Amino acid sequence: MTAAVLSPGRSNLHRFLSGYGQEIVVLLAIVALFVVVGATNHRFLSNTNINSIFAGNAYIAIAAIGMSMVIMAGHIDVSVGALIGVIATIAGTLAVSDYPIWVAWLVPILFAIMVNAGVGTLVAYTRIPSIVVTLGMLSILKGGLISATAGEWISNLPPEFMIAQMRPFGIPSAVWFMVALTILAALFLRYTDFGRSIYAVGGNMEAARAAGINPERTVIGVFALHGLFAGIAGILFATQLQVIQSTVPPNLELTIITASVIGGVSILGGTGTVIGSTLAAILFACIGSALIFLNVSAYWLRAVLGLMILATVLADMIRRRRDT
Amino acid sequence: MTAARFFRHETILAILTIVAMVVLASLSDKFFTADNLLNQGRLMAEVGLVSLAMTFVIVTGGIDLSVGSILGLTAILLGVFWKNVGLPLPAAMFLALACGTFAGWVNGFIITRFSVPPLIATLATLALYRGLAEGISEARSVRGYPEWFFFFGQGEVMGVPFQLWILGIATFVAAIILGLTPFGRATYAIGANEVAARFSGIRVNATKLWIYTGSGFCAALAAVIFVSRVTTTRSDMGTGLELDAITAVVLGGTSIFGGRGTIIGTALGLILIQALKNGLALSGVKGDGTIVVIGLVLIGAILVGALFDRNRGG
Amino acid sequence: MKKLTLAAIVGLGLMSGSALAASAWTGGDDQPTSPLACDATPAAAAAKPYDGGVPTNAPDRKGKKITVVDVPKLIGIGYFNATSKGIADAAKELGNVDAKTDGPTKANIDDQITFIDNYITSGVDGILFAANDPVAIAPVLKKALSKGINVVGYDANSTPDARQWFVNQAQFNGIAKALVDNMAKEAGEDAGVAIVTSTFTTPNQARWIAEMAAYAEKCHPKMKWLETVEAQEDNNLSFNQATTLINKYGDDLKGIFGMTSVATPASAEAVTQAGKCGKIAVVGLATPNAMKPYVAKDCVKSVVLWNPVDLGYAAMMVLRAVADGTLQPGATTVKAGKLGDLQVINGSEILLGAPYTFTKDNIGQFDF
Repeated sequence: MTAAVLSPGRSNLHRFLSGYGQEIVVLLAIVALFVVVGATNHRFLSNTNINSIFAGNAYIAIAAIGMSMVIMAGHIDVSVGALIGVIATIAGTLAVSDYPIWVAWLVPILFAIMVNAGVGTLVAYTRIPSIVVTLGMLSILKGGLISATAGEWISNLPPEFMIAQMRPFGIPSAVWFMVALTILAALFLRYTDFGRSIYAVGGNMEAARAAGINPERTVIGVFALHGLFAGIAGILFATQLQVIQSTVPPNLELTIITASVIGGVSILGGTGTVIGSTLAAILFACIGSALIFLNVSAYWLRAVLGLMILATVLADMIRRRRDT
Repeated sequence: MTAARFFRHETILAILTIVAMVVLASLSDKFFTADNLLNQGRLMAEVGLVSLAMTFVIVTGGIDLSVGSILGLTAILLGVFWKNVGLPLPAAMFLALACGTFAGWVNGFIITRFSVPPLIATLATLALYRGLAEGISEARSVRGYPEWFFFFGQGEVMGVPFQLWILGIATFVAAIILGLTPFGRATYAIGANEVAARFSGIRVNATKLWIYTGSGFCAALAAVIFVSRVTTTRSDMGTGLELDAITAVVLGGTSIFGGRGTIIGTALGLILIQALKNGLALSGVKGDGTIVVIGLVLIGAILVGALFDRNRGG
Repeated sequence: MKKLTLAAIVGLGLMSGSALAASAWTGGDDQPTSPLACDATPAAAAAKPYDGGVPTNAPDRKGKKITVVDVPKLIGIGYFNATSKGIADAAKELGNVDAKTDGPTKANIDDQITFIDNYITSGVDGILFAANDPVAIAPVLKKALSKGINVVGYDANSTPDARQWFVNQAQFNGIAKALVDNMAKEAGEDAGVAIVTSTFTTPNQARWIAEMAAYAEKCHPKMKWLETVEAQEDNNLSFNQATTLINKYGDDLKGIFGMTSVATPASAEAVTQAGKCGKIAVVGLATPNAMKPYVAKDCVKSVVLWNPVDLGYAAMMVLRAVADGTLQPGATTVKAGKLGDLQVINGSEILLGAPYTFTKDNIGQFDF
């Protein structure tokens, strides 16, 4: 449908579209939502609402960047939601125990990198499927977190700890992080050897090996990077509000994986970009907000969300079919 | 060679299950009693039924994340058909089962007709079906089912819980279909190499459509048993069921990449998880500790299996 | 295709919007309501015969050491931490009770049933529970009664015949009155209000919303309900949902009801971050510790809750009294240790007391 509307200059455009097809579908969906909902209620387009849409899901977008890389390398991580819960709790505990703020920010991120590098090592060298290792990690992190904290909330957090609430140049810092990390990750994937080796490993591990790539090292690297992004997401998640719940946020891993795949990362590995996953995370926030603005009965909210995801996926599949 | 390979993981798992049973029985004298074991069978019937179908799905290299939502939707429809539409309960049961099966067919249709990867397709229907359940029921529960209906979830036949019979029969049938029929061979072939399967004349799409439809049917059947067991319907029933089922299937040695796996393995995986949950609780371990143990066992069992595989030069 | 979907959504939205106008507030259940009088007249308690269950062949446990398990809706949240502390306190004070808390990590009916079933097998003397669903939990509780186990509920009830007694923290209509009266006082009689709840399937929340709708219609007819949103028991989602409500309604939104101890502080946070303190009132159920920062900043004026530690304490005391045989069907009061005599209502319920309203003046005295 997009190709038909924008037919002039077809050959270049066509190449452009097939390179960024899914990103464009998601972007158009976002624009369409803003136009339609903005027309019915102009408050949807107010500064504050746009800010909340972008800031509210920024941590999901950032976690989805790492998840996208894992999926591109042909793996998956279902424990990321639990990991984010654990990171938030560690960060909060450090922040209220009089450690310097930078310790409270950095230590949990290092912890996340180490945990995921461990997962990556298991996946790379034992050949256990990543879904099995991370299903196990999910149980371990979740059970461990509840045993350790009993769900005690962490409050009285120092104000300077609240990095997500800072607003450099009037824009929430979470949005800055989201934009900067997306651009960095996109450049990294495109222009570094390591970035390109991720695609190669996801596309065909043995071919990658033949081309002189060490697939094991790449997989460990990808999981460690994913840990870095999950760590940053966890810190933003922890500092959004005045209290930290010390629990595993429900269904967070599903939302993050969905953002990655809706954004055009093929679950079979080898293709995709991180721009798409960030756009998809923004799209979710848009939909969530739009459904409230459009007075969709709250009972039907989830059904409509599912329908929209399905529509996005089908639109993409139909587009791909036309391209080939 | 393939048979030997299949049985390797199952043997390890069987030994592990027996060891777990012995240890748990020594920790609590309440564990290894007929009463308790039969009761545990009752409790694992729903996830068991779903896991059987999930084994087929995963052997083809696919996945079905929507089973928990299909369970919720079927449960709600059962209640709505009976209470709000006013159908007789048997008719409502039949219709609800049909709808659940249809939901599974829709999954298969999206996956085969539009070549959407199963993970994405069922991720979308996971939200969609749960949403329909919430919307249709407006979050109201349906209660007050007649006494005879509770037989499916609470009754016994010859001293054994009714749903355990169903699960036993279903396991038997599933094992035969997957292990001994052309359909089963087609399932393995698709998982091993879909393109090759297509070229060798296997009706790939039809087979997959049947499997996802079957997954919907099993989830729907589990829904009826569940409603009968807990005597009420709620739209949030079956939340998280998909992860429990997938855990049992992969613990049972089915490869998430497709092409490998057995029903016996899945059955052993189910039994091991249920025994751990129950036995650890009886010996005084709390729930949060239990899920940590299950996570460790999952990784450990697969790790041991992988090491054995490697030692044989695989 | 996209347009079609959007059109369908808009259509659906309009459709359901008009359908809603006829019914009460979204999120309420369809059970009958009984709003209290608008002034402070207490409702006349209708005498009702005992309608709880009776354990079969329960052994004589009078004065003997008993083991008790507490299975709340879920573990790992502050509220049930507090009830569990109350239970442990009471057990320690009694000296002849061995009590522990164990339960599912998410509020799931199936998991909770499995936990209770396992503890029946392990042979406990008493079960304390807070039900995720009143009907779904009934068969397993009846099984416990049939094995001679004493069963007492708290926080969230089951069907009466599936347990012996239920310790009611505060009556639904009492909570509803406290919430709506406080809202009318703070936001004005004709305020537009929205609700942030956990899920529509949570029985207690659904009951409160239904009672609030009925009470508002009777006593504050000009109060305008705008919308109810679901936010699970999730801090960030509650915050996002409350923020969206603020953005959507602008000045039309004068108050937000938080229906859970998660939703209320998150709504207060949303109001604070939107810079609407004093313009949008937040009234809700919450624990004092989570609300202290907002009460101190005058962003929240009143928080309604019972003391969950006392609730757990009372539940344990009642269970001991039942096991000792000192609390029999037909009793009108029960002694509950340091809480004194508690009143029996509705046949087989024990009332903890009226809901408590925390304000800036008294919130500092509480620590839970």
